[in-house]
Amino acid sequence: MLVLYETSLGYCLFKVTDTGKIQNQDVWEEFETPEKANKFLKLKSLHRFTSTVTAVEEITALQEGKLGKGLKQFLSDEVVGKGKGKEQLMVADPKLGHSIHKKLGINVVSDSIEGLYRDMFRGIREQLAVLLDGLDPKDLATMSLGLSHSLSRFKLKFSPDKVDTMVVQAVALLDDLDKEINIYAMRVKEWYGWHFPELGKIIVDNLAYAKVIKAMGFRTNASTTDFSSILPEDLEATVKAAAEISMGTEISDSDINHIHSLCDQVIAITAYRTQLAEYLRNRMNAIAPNLTALVGELVGARLISHAGSLLSLAKHPASTVQILGAEKALFRALKTKHDTPKYGLIYHASLIGQAPPKLKGKMARMVATKAALSIRVDALTDADGKSEPMAPSIGIENRAKLEARLRALEEGADATGVRGARNGKKQAKFSMSGETSTYNTAADAVDLVPAQRDPLETALQATLDVKAEKKKAKEAKKAKKKEEEGDEDENKMDVDNEEESEKKRKRRESHADGEEKKIKHEGETEEERKARKKAKKEAKAAAASAGEAVDSTKKKRRKSEA
Amino acid sequence: MAFGEGGPPRGGGRGGFGGGRGGFGGDRGGRGGFGGGRGGGRGGVAKRGGDRGGRGGGRGGPGRGGRGAGRGGRGGARGGSNVVLEPHKHPGIFIAKGKDSLLVTKNLVPGEAVYGEKRISIEGGVEGTKIEYRVWNPFRSKLAAGVLGGMDHIFIEPGKKVLYLGAASGTSVSHVADIVGPEGVVYAVEFSPRSGRDLIGMAKKRTNVIPIVEDARTPQKYRMLVSAVDVIFADVAQPDQARIVVLNAEYFLKNGGHVVISIKASCIDSTASPEAVFAQEVDYLRKQKFKPIEQVTLEPYERDHAMVSAVYQRHK
Repeated sequence: MLVLYETSLGYCLFKVTDTGKIQNQDVWEEFETPEKANKFLKLKSLHRFTSTVTAVEEITALQEGKLGKGLKQFLSDEVVGKGKGKEQLMVADPKLGHSIHKKLGINVVSDSIEGLYRDMFRGIREQLAVLLDGLDPKDLATMSLGLSHSLSRFKLKFSPDKVDTMVVQAVALLDDLDKEINIYAMRVKEWYGWHFPELGKIIVDNLAYAKVIKAMGFRTNASTTDFSSILPEDLEATVKAAAEISMGTEISDSDINHIHSLCDQVIAITAYRTQLAEYLRNRMNAIAPNLTALVGELVGARLISHAGSLLSLAKHPASTVQILGAEKALFRALKTKHDTPKYGLIYHASLIGQAPPKLKGKMARMVATKAALSIRVDALTDADGKSEPMAPSIGIENRAKLEARLRALEEGADATGVRGARNGKKQAKFSMSGETSTYNTAADAVDLVPAQRDPLETALQATLDVKAEKKKAKEAKKAKKKEEEGDEDENKMDVDNEEESEKKRKRRESHADGEEKKIKHEGETEEERKARKKAKKEAKAAAASAGEAVDSTKKKRRKSEA
Repeated sequence: MAFGEGGPPRGGGRGGFGGGRGGFGGDRGGRGGFGGGRGGGRGGVAKRGGDRGGRGGGRGGPGRGGRGAGRGGRGGARGGSNVVLEPHKHPGIFIAKGKDSLLVTKNLVPGEAVYGEKRISIEGGVEGTKIEYRVWNPFRSKLAAGVLGGMDHIFIEPGKKVLYLGAASGTSVSHVADIVGPEGVVYAVEFSPRSGRDLIGMAKKRTNVIPIVEDARTPQKYRMLVSAVDVIFADVAQPDQARIVVLNAEYFLKNGGHVVISIKASCIDSTASPEAVFAQEVDYLRKQKFKPIEQVTLEPYERDHAMVSAVYQRHK
């Protein structure tokens, strides 16, 4: 019997001297000492790899259980060529043994998973240096080192997951960009809001807001700027009107420069985000057409990114796909013996989004089963199959089925009648319970602003809104202060004399008065202010004269008394 | 190694100093794991930073075995403070005693950190030469946590051949490579291509590390690269990790070789109690011709982890 043993140096062929011992349980004893091992096995021939490149080729073939070029040559020379074709050959890998038998017709016995001949190979491994005629172990080690490095590099270079990695990274970047855009846009609003607070109320969209600032600069330029490419007509008019009556502070040129560059960032990142989304859509359609058709490219990409690659996602059962992304909730539920979550990442699929709350769990389960099937189809069809126009057929078909099923479930009548849910039971009589919510008309408000509305009115409304907000905040502050003071007073009441508390009361009153006046006078124009001042003066004068009159009458009375 | 010989006389010769340094021991009384490595007589050796005038005199004195006081790491990490090195009870591992004690290994590639860890260089036996040590963080490495957790034997020693399953980015592997030294070999198996990339980068600098980017479940795929090994260390955190270890042991572990396994209870069964999981794993090993030796928990460095060592008794 011959034994094939692979090392990083090359292939070795040993001849077993005592074939009877191989089946023996105690075959390991033959390898206990170098002498015994040398007696038991004789090295017939050694095929060294000529270069690292060939070594890598040979070893990769071996790993896949294939017969490499070098091995084929070696075996046909040493076994078939020397007329030992009838002799049995022992091989470590059953897969490799099978291909040797098929290609060369050599009678092969191989080490099985259960380890039928494992002790043989263990023994050879342990005594390799001796068996190879005093081969320097250092030599073997350096070869192993070089080979392992080249193999690993080869493996990384031709990693099958590399296409999926693009999707994984893209979807991660998309999430990062969303966060970034939000942070920057909030900063723009906060910053520019100092100058033109009403604008934030009028333009809600982040991108439009940044673009308006870029076009307009200072709010004083609003009337001369053309917003037609950014805003609808009515909004434009509103902005212009609001700019006229805005209550924002003035800012300098350098301030606006910095706000401008921040706006540039927002605009640029938003533009890139749409570009990236398009890229992701294309990639997902190419990689996983069925999954994309079923749950959309975003959810699909998130699922892939969570599993690591499409192939590993395909190995997940539907129940796992359903709760992918809800691991924390799942394990918590398992530990505490509560109900496990109904959905994870898949929740964001539109099929589940359109289901009523009661059916969401059921829908998630059905979508997950169909998704799992679609993923497997996607993962296991080759690239050519995916590029065909009919590639997403299963996904589209399943989607239609699920939509129909959802409609049927929503209508209450189980169209397919699979379960016959209401066969035995009678439907309970409907009765109005207090908890049902009524139709919310407020929710009907659409984003479109009617064009007929007076722009000035809207602008005023925005101004008033900001004002009212400020007033409210102020009042709240005041109330809080009062409360605190009141508390203090209450505490002190026992100790204080009346005089002090009265002083406090007066101060408070005057304080409140002033506040009121301030509020009243807010928002009036220059002319109004002048007019008010004048009126105030007159009133004062009148009061003074009246006081004099009173005084004089008093004096007179006193005099008369005297 | 010079540290070993220099040890005993040093302790005796410095008895006089001991009294003045009583303050040191106080701040590290809580680390039980070090106890084994720290002989009682050595208590007085460790010294505090540069606040002591008398320190200079002791330096270079004959009683010190020619080894000067430790100096701060080159990265400025421990700049100015003085560190004294002592061998740990496990060969190849050392303890650097400065303000607080740190587990260190001798850097095979002086001048370079693998993952941004701190380095300490200490003057060597010969004048002017320096030996660099790398700090081994038990919060990042399960093996270091096991060492500090009080493992009696880790079996990973200078000159040994180690099969390291679950090598990840090679941070722990680099320390294992330091321990086994240039005479030993570490076969580092990692499946993830992303981590494998870092592992290969680390292995480029250390010629005693053989990186293998393969699934540890299929030892037949790397059978031609690995020779018979003395120790298998496994940190794979997979539900079937005991099976993986057994499979690799069948292929590569010498009879009478050892395995050291880090078990994360929640990876195997998140609902059962950790103790039950550990017991179940140990039981599995026992059935597969292993004889368990010891088991320590990795508290406080890792939660619900245990490190188990066993000896392979394939043939009695």
